[in-house]
Amino acid sequence: MNLSLLGRTWRSNAFRLAIICLALAGWGSMLPIIYSQFGAAFREFVDSGLIPEAMTNFGGGDVFSLAGSIALGFVHPIAIILLSVFAVGFTTNAFAGERQRGTLEILLARPISRRRAYITILVSVLGFLAIALAAYLVGTTVSARVFNVIGEIDTSLLPLVWLNGLLLFGSFAAIALAASVTFDRLAPALGITLAILLVGYFFEILGSLWPDAEFLQPYSLFHYLQTRDILTGKADPFGFGLLATITVIAIVYALVVFPRRDIAAPS
Amino acid sequence: MDAVETVGLTKHYGHRPPPIHPPFIHPTGIVRALEDLSIAVHEGEIFGFLGPNGAGKTTMIRLILGFLHPTDGKASVLGLDTARNSVEIRRRVGYLPGGIALWDSMTGVSLLDYLAELSGHKPVRRDELCDRLELSTRTLHRRVRDYSRGMRQKIGIVQALQHDPPLAILDEPTEGLDPLMQRAFYAILDDLKAAGRTVFFSSHILSEVERVCDRVAIIRRGRLVALEEVAKLLDRRKRNVEMRLTGPPPRLEGVPGVTGLTVADGRVTLQLEGDVGPFLGAIAGAPITDLTIEPAHLEEAFLEYYADADPGETEDGEPAPAPARVAG
Repeated sequence: MNLSLLGRTWRSNAFRLAIICLALAGWGSMLPIIYSQFGAAFREFVDSGLIPEAMTNFGGGDVFSLAGSIALGFVHPIAIILLSVFAVGFTTNAFAGERQRGTLEILLARPISRRRAYITILVSVLGFLAIALAAYLVGTTVSARVFNVIGEIDTSLLPLVWLNGLLLFGSFAAIALAASVTFDRLAPALGITLAILLVGYFFEILGSLWPDAEFLQPYSLFHYLQTRDILTGKADPFGFGLLATITVIAIVYALVVFPRRDIAAPS
Repeated sequence: MDAVETVGLTKHYGHRPPPIHPPFIHPTGIVRALEDLSIAVHEGEIFGFLGPNGAGKTTMIRLILGFLHPTDGKASVLGLDTARNSVEIRRRVGYLPGGIALWDSMTGVSLLDYLAELSGHKPVRRDELCDRLELSTRTLHRRVRDYSRGMRQKIGIVQALQHDPPLAILDEPTEGLDPLMQRAFYAILDDLKAAGRTVFFSSHILSEVERVCDRVAIIRRGRLVALEEVAKLLDRRKRNVEMRLTGPPPRLEGVPGVTGLTVADGRVTLQLEGDVGPFLGAIAGAPITDLTIEPAHLEEAFLEYYADADPGETEDGEPAPAPARVAG
């Protein structure tokens, strides 16, 4: 790891990180409010039979329990977009974007190996995601405490929720970085990463709302985000292991490919 | 020890086309960017690397800095193998890329600080370089996005030289500089040479190579076509001579070094190569009213080396065998 590069990466992303953390904390605080104020009303509405039961489960989250609300907040597009700023945007730009602009050349003309540069960026993005996910859970916890529903979950399990989220978005970040070190231009790196994320999201949401499409869910990384299961004590270690394995594979790929590839002059 | 040494350095891009061509797919084939390049840059000299756009100059620089991996051959910089010690090489080298790109959101001074920090060396020459290139403190505190092309190039020069590296690799360094700044830059190069630093200098501007370099390598379609001292290259060039006379012209046929003789209306033009003594002896006593001997320019040497190149030829073309005249 290169401390100078690490320092500059954190300094140049500090404002962005602060904004994302504030937004995620705000979003995280909304879910317990919705649950505490409208959860019972939603339950009655569903029990009336107007909405099929299957349609009440959105990607493993719901508004009928605090655990389901926290899970819903995690898998909601708002959280996905905010976390993707780092997991996809920052990572694809880190090498492919810098390469396209020509600034990667200035960096790699210094005595810093490509592996070291990669590890520095990887550590940075995992740090950004860890802080952003923590901000979401802090917002949720504070809000749940204010609205007196915190007792419905075992707060000692929240670090596992955080770890599960970090593994999911960490795996997207590792895939994005692998694409970033592979391509000379931002568009293909961004395109491939977004395709994996969006198709996976579509599979997971479709499978959660439509029983006939459930078979698609295991092919989505989002399926292994088990927020509600963790908070209700039903977490499956396989999901953690799978996300960790995919992350490691993407990291190893990047560490092998990046130092071996040619970096031609910017066109 | 040579500052830079390459032995049979070769770089091909792309892949061999498949035996069967699928429809709608046009294989790129192999691009021979650099072919069997062997040069040695001595310590303490300013070495010019000359060639038109696409000849392979930047490929060569990127190979010795470890951005590219050679297809064949090997290279060493300051005694270090480029394949195994590229990080250590970059610690000792100052590099100015061609068409430099900088982080636009940073100020000039924070950018220079950051790059010096990454280099691991104190920017001992920054103040002097900024002063000579007229980069004021006020300018350095503006964001790079507000800089003109020339100012970016000045920042590029400062970042390459601010830590006083033993070897500077400069890819078309005067690009975007106005004539005054070009002159200031040449003076900086003169000082580097006086201080015993080595400069590897790539350019397609013949006049600046002629002005600042001790030796020059001329590259064509990835192949070395000449490597020799600039002074010797210039010595061998034909001078353009024009005389006006009021009487019969002197007998110049057969005078050593004289070619292309034309006589018309009291005006004699010719090309003169090598020692001028025999020519001066031959025209002594002739009724000359005006005599012009144009100094030899590297451009003519350069054009001669490229004279047999096909018009519009690019580096993508299959390299024809070129006679290599290697000296020095």
